[in-house]
Amino acid sequence: MSSTVRIAREEWRQWLRSRLAILSLIVFTALLLFTTLLTTLDAQEARHQRLHQQQQAEETFLNQPDRHPHRMVHYGHYVFRTPPPLAMFDPGVDAVTGQSLFLEGHRQNSAMFADARAEARTGGFGALTPAKLYHLFLPLLIIALGHGVILREREARTLGPLLSQGVSGARLYRGKLLALGMLIVLLSLPALFSSVAASLSGESALAGLMLYVGNLLYLGVWAVLTLLVSTMTRSRGVALGVLCAVWVVTVLVIPRIGVTSASATLPTEGKILTDMRMNDDLRKLGDGHNAADPAFAQLRASLLAQYNVDSVEELPMNFRGLVASKSETDLTETLNAYAEKRMQRERAQATHLSAFGWVSPYLAIGGASRNLAGTDLETHHRFLREAETVRYDFVQGLNEVHIEKLSYIDDLNRNNGEEGNRRARVDAANWQVLNDFRFTPDPALDRLSRATSKLTTLALWFFALIGIGLIAARRLTP
Amino acid sequence: MMREFKFMLRDKAVCVWLSLAFIFSVAAVTLGLNEVSQQRAEIAELTQLDLIERKATLSDQSDWGSAAYYTFHVTYDPPSDFAYAALGQRDVSPWKHRVRMLALEGQIYETDANNPDFALIGRFDFAFIASLIAPLLVIFLLFDLRSGEQVAGRLRLIEASASSPARLWWMRSGLRIGALAVVLCLPLLVGGLISGTAILTLALCAMAVCLYLLFWTVLTLRLTPATRTGAYNLTIMLGVWLLLCAVMPATLTQVIERGVPLPDGGEIVLTQREAVNDAWDLPREATYEPFLERHPEWVDNTAWAEDGFEWKWYFAFQQVGDQTAEPLSQAYRAGQARRDDIARWSSLISPATLLQRTMEHLAGTDMQAAINYEQSVRNFHANLRAWYYPKMFRSEDFDANQALQTLPVFEPETKTGA
Repeated sequence: MSSTVRIAREEWRQWLRSRLAILSLIVFTALLLFTTLLTTLDAQEARHQRLHQQQQAEETFLNQPDRHPHRMVHYGHYVFRTPPPLAMFDPGVDAVTGQSLFLEGHRQNSAMFADARAEARTGGFGALTPAKLYHLFLPLLIIALGHGVILREREARTLGPLLSQGVSGARLYRGKLLALGMLIVLLSLPALFSSVAASLSGESALAGLMLYVGNLLYLGVWAVLTLLVSTMTRSRGVALGVLCAVWVVTVLVIPRIGVTSASATLPTEGKILTDMRMNDDLRKLGDGHNAADPAFAQLRASLLAQYNVDSVEELPMNFRGLVASKSETDLTETLNAYAEKRMQRERAQATHLSAFGWVSPYLAIGGASRNLAGTDLETHHRFLREAETVRYDFVQGLNEVHIEKLSYIDDLNRNNGEEGNRRARVDAANWQVLNDFRFTPDPALDRLSRATSKLTTLALWFFALIGIGLIAARRLTP
Repeated sequence: MMREFKFMLRDKAVCVWLSLAFIFSVAAVTLGLNEVSQQRAEIAELTQLDLIERKATLSDQSDWGSAAYYTFHVTYDPPSDFAYAALGQRDVSPWKHRVRMLALEGQIYETDANNPDFALIGRFDFAFIASLIAPLLVIFLLFDLRSGEQVAGRLRLIEASASSPARLWWMRSGLRIGALAVVLCLPLLVGGLISGTAILTLALCAMAVCLYLLFWTVLTLRLTPATRTGAYNLTIMLGVWLLLCAVMPATLTQVIERGVPLPDGGEIVLTQREAVNDAWDLPREATYEPFLERHPEWVDNTAWAEDGFEWKWYFAFQQVGDQTAEPLSQAYRAGQARRDDIARWSSLISPATLLQRTMEHLAGTDMQAAINYEQSVRNFHANLRAWYYPKMFRSEDFDANQALQTLPVFEPETKTGA
């Protein structure tokens, strides 16, 4: 048996002999298992529930009675975002953004009813998820168990004899690294479980695997940092102090400072303010409900010329429908321009924030983990875009019905008594213009490419710390 | 005493932790003040734009119905003069709305969401420093107080030379924690002076923080005997911190959430929309019947002047939409209040929760404040209806000037800190 393995085995024997180490291991494992179980159940339930709600919303839309087509434009439709399988590890932005979106003509709504809003306020760090435990708190366990790996030998005065017996500093380092490596592999098992479980319920194995590897790498960064500090300091008190300070600053402080910095340097305007500014732009486009709005005079003139008729009544199609359709196109262009601007701004903020990942591995793994799980900002943006496509398509589909299947005269007389009202309706079969909406995560490779820079940051940290650690270990003196 | 003070300052670790605490607190208070002034500026801009927009819109109208349909009104909840210390529920619940006389249930849940990544990571405000980081600082300052001396072999000597060892340790830890309390609270107080916070509010908050620090001091001294090594003591204390500051609050939230289920929020909006949309196809009596139950005074004014569209009917079914969703909406709000109530009581067993909630209460950024604001928007909307209904049901002639001068204006509740 090589001496590296022997050193690692000895370290484990020490840990297993310590009641405290065993206790902390048990507590953390229990916490991890419990949280994993709870989050998994929650995510599964949310998946089923939202899929069901989506189907129900589609049925309700299709089952609407004969109506004036524009009434269906206002009746609207709901889309739901089904959480990806890996949400059982990292639910990400789901709880903050809300999961359903109401789609209707002439406007883009924001997602409503985020869970966070009605949550009881109890302080702390919010709901615990496996991701949060891994990213926030597991480093503490690694620090607690690992800070003494070299210092223990030093304090027990066994370091001198070891080094003089021909065990080089580097070999000692490798042995301790192996011991810590086994520790983090053990601690990462619940994450592996989540990955495998997600793969079984349809997630790509690559995404699951990379998520697992990313977390392993993050724990690895903390392990080699702990080992480095243990090598370079002279007493456990100092080592613990340094490691705890690093943890407080990189995990608790820098991320939040980064958030504040991002929102201060790249402020986003509130939705209401944007809406009010947008209103000015929209007023110029004209009101699509009012075919007499001067904004549509040109459309009218060109149509009359094209069909060589004198009034809109003589046109072969419904002019009111045409106006509705044209105004929806123009309006959507404006709405999308504003929405894109907002999303761009949010992405810029995210980029600004992830620059802090270089000094805070916590930010790097947090970002990478959401990227890989498919619960990140980009996925949310894609949800908004896809929902917008559904919205535009069904609204324009209905406008098409309005143009083709409802005569202009009947349309004008829609408020003229029971009979007029009845004649201004179209058959419910026309509601089939609605497309099914099933939100699925991005392909694993796309997610991986978004996470790559963050994973690279972690890898660089990992190898740099190992490099410095090895140099420090070579110079190890009793 | 002076001698002990000098001892303390000679300890490098203590100086590092105290400086960090000071930097954190200064940063948190500065960022908090900055955020609050940004929110105030936004409110000022909103109310100004609101007025301009309303003038422009009203001058384009020719009847009361379209005036009510096209005019928006900005409502808002200004941050209190202590909000800089704890932004609380303001980060989650909306504190500004833009409403019109359509069914309110379709408008009141619109939230002005920030970048979701930010909400996930959380805010760096004083409440965060005080409730979550300060306990760690207490632990770092005290865990090695006695065990360190034991390792250095001085413990016996020190205890023997003191008249009362217990008093000595209390004094030493008292000095450290006292210094911590000062460096934490000083920036808070300066921030309070800048923002014009009531002295009482500041004093109550500082007292709460001191009591909280005292709690952690006693806990740390109890659980870190000199007979154990510093490393052992620290590990234990980190576990205790994790339990009290992360696991306990999260468990409370989970338990409360499962214990008090809320109706699905989306269901409220859905119900309201269905009611409003169905009304177009229903006989007018079906709308007027539930409407007149609330407004019997218009029973003689529901006649239709001609075949065509009637605004009063349109707004009547908007109100009926709200009425249909009312049971759900009330259940939702009652559930929110009930959850908050349970959270208040259960915070007695979770010190971190208690401090957080106390500060949010002092800052007027707790759930109750959010509920009160929502109610004030509801009241304002009811005033709008009460203002427009007589004009529509009596078919009065439209007068843009009269509208501009007498339309209800949203007045936020004035809030001082406490």
